[in-house]
Amino acid sequence: MKTTLISRVKQNKYSIIIGCGRLGSRIANELSANDEDVLIIDRDEEAFRKLSKSYGGLTLVGDGTDLALLKEANVKKASTVILTTDNDNINILISQMLKIIFNKEFIIARLYDSEKDYVYEELGIKTICPVDLSIQELNRYFKNRG
Amino acid sequence: MKKRILLIGGFNKARSLAQSLINRDYAVTVINKDLTNCKVLSEIERLTVILGDGSKAYVLEEANVKEMDVVIALTQHDYDNLVICELSKKRYKVSKTVALVNDAKKIDFFYKAGVDSVVCAVNAITNIIEQKTLFDGIANLLPMTEARINIAEIPISSSSKAINKRLWEISLPKEVIIACILRGEKSIVPQGDTLIQAGDILILISSNKQELTAIRELTGNR
Repeated sequence: MKTTLISRVKQNKYSIIIGCGRLGSRIANELSANDEDVLIIDRDEEAFRKLSKSYGGLTLVGDGTDLALLKEANVKKASTVILTTDNDNINILISQMLKIIFNKEFIIARLYDSEKDYVYEELGIKTICPVDLSIQELNRYFKNRG
Repeated sequence: MKKRILLIGGFNKARSLAQSLINRDYAVTVINKDLTNCKVLSEIERLTVILGDGSKAYVLEEANVKEMDVVIALTQHDYDNLVICELSKKRYKVSKTVALVNDAKKIDFFYKAGVDSVVCAVNAITNIIEQKTLFDGIANLLPMTEARINIAEIPISSSSKAINKRLWEISLPKEVIIACILRGEKSIVPQGDTLIQAGDILILISSNKQELTAIRELTGNR
């Protein structure tokens, strides 16, 4: 019983996702289904069609590398910012702006090219690299195969 | 040992910069991701041309980035230029990196991110245009420290407003000082009672874009 009580307490988390592609839209859908406050940003309004019908968060059309837009999105209030545009360099630029200009603590960036994670360790930005994850998973399969 | 410079992106800028650097005896390499552009660039003598995306580690390695003295990122995207400079600096320990920036609001951020020198083309061009249209023939303007401070050279003619006045009689904006007066062969460090004469050239240092007000006050020109 205790667990349900805890989960019912309104969580005051506000996440921002930049880039509404396959990954971004799915994270947004799931966070929203978990009753969290979500804002998803994309420069193309059409991208928001990927969001599910029950998505209860906010959407914002604009360029995520624009400082004015980040201010408009109220990044200061966000507990987590997730960068899922399809361009590594854009994800790198935005995550560093969030760190250096807005002092954000929790930043997660998707990075296709793991050779570009040079700055992340020193800045404390978390990265997700699809290739690395796929290789881990493949290795697991090979091991299980015996 | 020749100084080695790597230029990335920015076809026209890279082309003229490469040519002028080679003329000054630098060893220059360019990276461009467009094949046609690369072909044109390869017509320049003694220029090493590499086809590829300069924000990728293996392309930079192909260009021998570790041996470079200076890396200059000239692509049209701010985010590409940032990544190029950071890769060069943090991964390959290049001592000087220069980035072109389009969005003037990001200049400060680029410096904080560790880029050694940030050039904002839009700012530079607006400054030049402003100078040409607003003060043409009146003054020479030299922007310093990203145009926060300007040094202006203002010739005083017999029709100027400030003529035969002492400095304390002229009401200049607070952010402006007259640093020096060039009179014939002499240069005078002005005092409050220094008299301004026809033929003088005033060297003005100003901040906060106050030079226009000052120039009006001194010359009477609008």
